[in-house]
Amino acid sequence: MNTPGKLTFKGGVHPPDYKDLSSQCAIEAVSVPKQLAVMLTQNIGAICKPVVNKKDHVTAGQVIGSNDAFVSAPIHSPVNGTVKDIALQSHPVLGRAEAILIESDDTNQQKWPRADQFNVTFDPAHFLPEHIFDSVRKAGIVGMGGAGFPTSVKIKANPQSPINTIIINGCECEPFITCDYRIMLEWTIQILTGVSLISRALNCGNVYIGIEDNKPDAIAVFEKAIHTMPCASGIKIVAVKTKYPQGGEKQLIKSITNKDVPAGGIPPMIGVLVTNVATAAAIAEAVVFDGPLTHRPVTVSGSGIKTPGNFYAPVGMAAGELIELAGGLTDDAEKIILGGPMMGFAVADLSIPITKTCGAITVLAAKDIVKRKETPCIRCGRCIEVCPMNLTPTTIAHAVKHNLLDTAQQYYMSACVECGCCSYICPADIELSGFIKTGKILVARQKKLMPK
Amino acid sequence: MLQNIKISPSPHISKHHSTQSVMLDVIIGLVPAIIASLVFFRMRAGIVLASCVISCVAFEAVCNLARKKPNSLGDLSAVVTGIILAFSLPPSIPFWVCIIGSGFAIIIGKMVFGGLGANIFNPAMAGRCFLTACFGTMMTVWTVPATIDSAMPQVGTVSEAPAAITQATPLGLIKDILKNKPAPQDEKIKAVNGIFKNMVIGSTSGCLGETSALALLIGGIYLLIKRTIDWIIPTAVLGVAFICAFIACEIDPHHYVLPWIHLASGGLLMGAFFIATDPVTAPLTKKGMWIFGAGVGALTMLIRLVGEYPEGVMFAVLLMNSISPLIDRFTKLTPTGGMVNA
Ligand code: SF4
Ligand code: SF4
Repeated sequence: MNTPGKLTFKGGVHPPDYKDLSSQCAIEAVSVPKQLAVMLTQNIGAICKPVVNKKDHVTAGQVIGSNDAFVSAPIHSPVNGTVKDIALQSHPVLGRAEAILIESDDTNQQKWPRADQFNVTFDPAHFLPEHIFDSVRKAGIVGMGGAGFPTSVKIKANPQSPINTIIINGCECEPFITCDYRIMLEWTIQILTGVSLISRALNCGNVYIGIEDNKPDAIAVFEKAIHTMPCASGIKIVAVKTKYPQGGEKQLIKSITNKDVPAGGIPPMIGVLVTNVATAAAIAEAVVFDGPLTHRPVTVSGSGIKTPGNFYAPVGMAAGELIELAGGLTDDAEKIILGGPMMGFAVADLSIPITKTCGAITVLAAKDIVKRKETPCIRCGRCIEVCPMNLTPTTIAHAVKHNLLDTAQQYYMSACVECGCCSYICPADIELSGFIKTGKILVARQKKLMPK
Repeated sequence: MLQNIKISPSPHISKHHSTQSVMLDVIIGLVPAIIASLVFFRMRAGIVLASCVISCVAFEAVCNLARKKPNSLGDLSAVVTGIILAFSLPPSIPFWVCIIGSGFAIIIGKMVFGGLGANIFNPAMAGRCFLTACFGTMMTVWTVPATIDSAMPQVGTVSEAPAAITQATPLGLIKDILKNKPAPQDEKIKAVNGIFKNMVIGSTSGCLGETSALALLIGGIYLLIKRTIDWIIPTAVLGVAFICAFIACEIDPHHYVLPWIHLASGGLLMGAFFIATDPVTAPLTKKGMWIFGAGVGALTMLIRLVGEYPEGVMFAVLLMNSISPLIDRFTKLTPTGGMVNA
């Protein structure tokens, strides 16, 4: 194992992590809610089309939406029930998007995590790479770290750009979120099973599991497990420095391999695949048990939550119901965020359903929210110092503010990974990443408005 | 319950600091030098400091009113400007000159550009430059510190008999010694060494805040530890100044003093830690900071060694301020890993 905490990248910030609110809470299975809204958009790439009709009866695990495009992932019903409607539903990012509304007919059903059904004698050699690809594709697995890129696409070996390094992302760098930490402790063998399957699919034995050094027990659990599990013996467990956004794939690659992914590019360009621990666990379930991705671990935490916890929740469950399971909102709750406080989306509608990419609901109380009042930039350069992409956030944001989109692009606006470090650090409380995101949207609109 | 719920773009948390806390840190960093100035120049220091700070704040308030802009005094930047301006003035300066200098610093140096963050020149240095141009004589009357002349007249009497209690600043003194009265080598070294010790502690004549190298160093180190200022600019300023002084001293030891003397002269430390590091008027990028700091160090030494002025920090900072935007353009950053068009 490498020296703890030495491996890092340039930039980043150290927000307080508040992990102890939920880090001791084991993952709980939840009873099925009466109604679910399964979004048709849960992945990057082609959006699913519904393959069921109103009033159809569906069973748990049945495909309810799909798309034939290569870059896509089908969606499944998490429960037995009836399709009540296919209609627009609030969506944290898109505003409103189509969802399949299912009324479950057996609210006592619970789906338990399958972690204890995996064992150390697992041998990935029983599965052919094509079989692994097929299972993952059918199971509708997407990157569960937040991006939602269809995983099958990533694990299909491509002779043109072979993968020579696999990195499993066990860095949960957003404050409050602990579900990946919990599954690392509780689902260790399942995760390693998934990792060995990825390694088999890509025929690449150079595998790292990167974990931040503030999770020494997770590191220890994996260290121990790889010695008892023959198929995992070649995996390297790496402690990386605790820092935000260590869990960003480009940052993690830099920390572990010291290689830079070009801005605007993707890891396979330098022969690296990054996937998160929850995704690896889902792959194991998909390949070994043919289990589609219908549930995921979700942390519900924050100063605005009465009893924070970690839940194994069905996709489509309303955020509000999960919040109720965690004791409900405190009286001073002020912001409901899907995701973590650094990159998550604030919502004001508790009916918004969780998706395959949503690993957390964070509710902040008034006392944890800094009231922002923008003051003039004092050119202190802190935003530049913390930008992991080595950009000049102040210049870009200033340009966007004054509608100088060309200037913003000359300063590489599109390379921004929207990590929010610049806004976090700015003493003048300028919403730098907000301006940059707006700028990107404006440019995208402009491009559509001007045909070639 | 949902009526309390608010929406805004991420990130939803931020570091608990503000422009105000950054400025407050700078003020704390200046405290050792403030104390030193009060020890050495007594009430004179108090008067100069008070008149600069109060008038800077007042001018800023008036400008805000005139521009119908919200009150910006809370960010404390006017206080910092006031202290730094006071520090760059001789203790014997009359209070009304302080007020004129503050007016220039705030109105012309800062507010006409649009206020904090928009100004090109360091406001305090702009103010001092104006006073040097208008009140040249008053700006070069140096009071002997109270620790040397215990009979140093107190308030009120200074302006009445300035000549009686003045002395050239160490750098001026040394410049004169070396230029006009080439003394035997050992005698010179003795004189210079004595001055060096006094300079470190601060018991030499000079501008208010520049006398005690030690006090400035303590404050500077505080700012470095708190990471309020970046280490690059002070390192570049002092490093390059040292190298220039060293080379000059090697070439002609009879005419140029040891590099340590230059470093310990408060003007340089003051400039390196508190003036050149003014974020607003320095470049944004690290590479830019190196260039800027090196420029300040080199220009300071050029002025000190070749020019007529014994001091050079003010002009060096102002000159480099003027090309700061240019430096930023030349040191434009490129994204990590290079850019591909995705
Ligand atoms: S951190 Fe804020 S104040 Fe500092 S340079 Fe960036 S935008 Fe300006
Ligand atoms: S500019 Fe983008 S990548 Fe850089 S710190 Fe800000 S949000 Fe992160």
